[in-house]
Amino acid sequence: MAASMGTTLLRRAAGSLPGLALLPRLFWAQAAPAALLLQLQRPLLRVFSTETDPATSAQPVAFDTESCFKEKPWEYLETEEYIERYGDKPVWLGYRRNHKGPIPPQKTRKTCIRGKKIVGNPCPICRDEKLHVDYRNVKLLEQFVCSHTGVTFHPTRTGVCMKQHKHLTQAINQARDHGLLSFRIPLVSLQSEDYTNQHQAVAKTPPAPSLQSQAPWYAWYEWQQPPEKDIARIRRIYKDYLKEETGPA
Amino acid sequence: MAALGVPRWRCLWRRAAAPLGLRRPGRALLGSRGYGQDAGSEADKEKSDVTKPCFTDELVQRLLSKMTGLDLQKIFRPIKQELKPPTYKLMTEKQLAEATRKAIKEAKELLKMPPVLSEREPIDDVLAEDRILEGTETVKYVFTDITYSTPHRERFIVVREPSGVLRKATWEERDRMIQVYFPREGRKLVPPPIFKDENLMTVFREDRHEDVLNLCIAQFEPDSANYIRVHHQTYEDIDKHAKYDLLRSTRHFGGMVWYLVNRKKTDGLLINMIQRNLMDDATCLINLYHMLYPDCQSAKAAKEQEVHGIDLIKVFMKTESKKVGYIELALQAYQEALASSAAL
Repeated sequence: MAASMGTTLLRRAAGSLPGLALLPRLFWAQAAPAALLLQLQRPLLRVFSTETDPATSAQPVAFDTESCFKEKPWEYLETEEYIERYGDKPVWLGYRRNHKGPIPPQKTRKTCIRGKKIVGNPCPICRDEKLHVDYRNVKLLEQFVCSHTGVTFHPTRTGVCMKQHKHLTQAINQARDHGLLSFRIPLVSLQSEDYTNQHQAVAKTPPAPSLQSQAPWYAWYEWQQPPEKDIARIRRIYKDYLKEETGPA
Repeated sequence: MAALGVPRWRCLWRRAAAPLGLRRPGRALLGSRGYGQDAGSEADKEKSDVTKPCFTDELVQRLLSKMTGLDLQKIFRPIKQELKPPTYKLMTEKQLAEATRKAIKEAKELLKMPPVLSEREPIDDVLAEDRILEGTETVKYVFTDITYSTPHRERFIVVREPSGVLRKATWEERDRMIQVYFPREGRKLVPPPIFKDENLMTVFREDRHEDVLNLCIAQFEPDSANYIRVHHQTYEDIDKHAKYDLLRSTRHFGGMVWYLVNRKKTDGLLINMIQRNLMDDATCLINLYHMLYPDCQSAKAAKEQEVHGIDLIKVFMKTESKKVGYIELALQAYQEALASSAAL
């Protein structure tokens, strides 16, 4: 609870105050309230100093790292921050869902982040904003697939919210399609097929004579002069209404 | 092979005792079973005395399967699947022999080679032209015959263009429509991006050539351009990095050897075999080479001198190979190892 409050406070602080680049990076879980206040006070002093020019000061560090990891999400898994926090273990190990009774509901929560509000006890992926579910960071995706069976873990085991689970499944399928993640390929036997291509469905059919000779497909596509008898008959019927003679259209 | 259906023409292999006959023009016909366009030249080919052997010949298949080997530990290695608790069986020697025999039989089924065909001719036949329909529609219509019992290669699939032209569907359109109405396991409607060149490179770096080839077989038809391209790229990469052992004891090894022998790139494979002390396989490879190129120097030399084993390899090395030094070194090392083990 206090920790999540700390994150929101830190985020708001990062947004409103420039010069936060000079702050050391904080683990969201370990910030003590007193230390937080101290950090907040420091930038206030720095803004009015003559040395730093607020116009040219660099953007807050928080945004930089997040955008950098968004482009290359696998880099975060090499940083010492990640290793210190998680070590060799998967990201979801040690996470405990809060639910009533001994049996957890078979579906985890729908999402941890609605708009700007984050729930208490967010899931293992939502609680670390530097973790991005992307088809390219295979190391993260591998943590959510069983190495023995090749089956993706159920969200009740890992604790991720349904939205992140959906993103994970999509990323895992994408990674498999791109060849970044190995999986078991079903055996397709090609022994009972015939490949002679002799049937007229797939072999060359000679084109119709009218196509070859450039004649129209149906004779009536071209103008056909009607027989004289019909012309005479129609002239006789509409004798009174006929205007002066016009040629054939 | 009977399972593939009776081809319209048979390749006849006669022993080199017959005088040299007419050469078959063009390499595209080699190993093709989809070839049947001009029936007139069939008779000429059958009349000629020495015909080039194709992939499906008994002798060729026997040589290729001998080279592929039968490593039961590799074929039946544990794979990623749903786990069950292991079962233990106590067997007598006889039962063990029986179980091994059954395993070998199943392994031979798994090692049946996928067909090697030449690229299919594109379909572009116009069946009708109805100019009266021009301007009535803005989209193409594809009409597929979905009778369940017709084989897919005999299915009529036609396309009506907005201009009123009724034409037969192209091969890509055919494959797509058949996948829509009769989906096959492992095949996707749109080929996955793993078959693009950059992704293939990534996969080759991880030594997953067998996976790529299995996916290719599942996704594409054996005579399509993509299938042939992916297979050739895989074989080239294996030859470049000498990773022949990845495909040994799989059903793809025969295809790879056939590809290499047809392009005369057998040196790397020969060195690999000598280094692994597979002398029988090396002699099989050289025999296959002689079968395909009976007029080459080493074939004639081998025929005259009736050489076998290491001498055959030496003759081949002197006349046909480009990496003479490497093969010599490998042979030397092998002979030294033989000598030292004999001494021991």
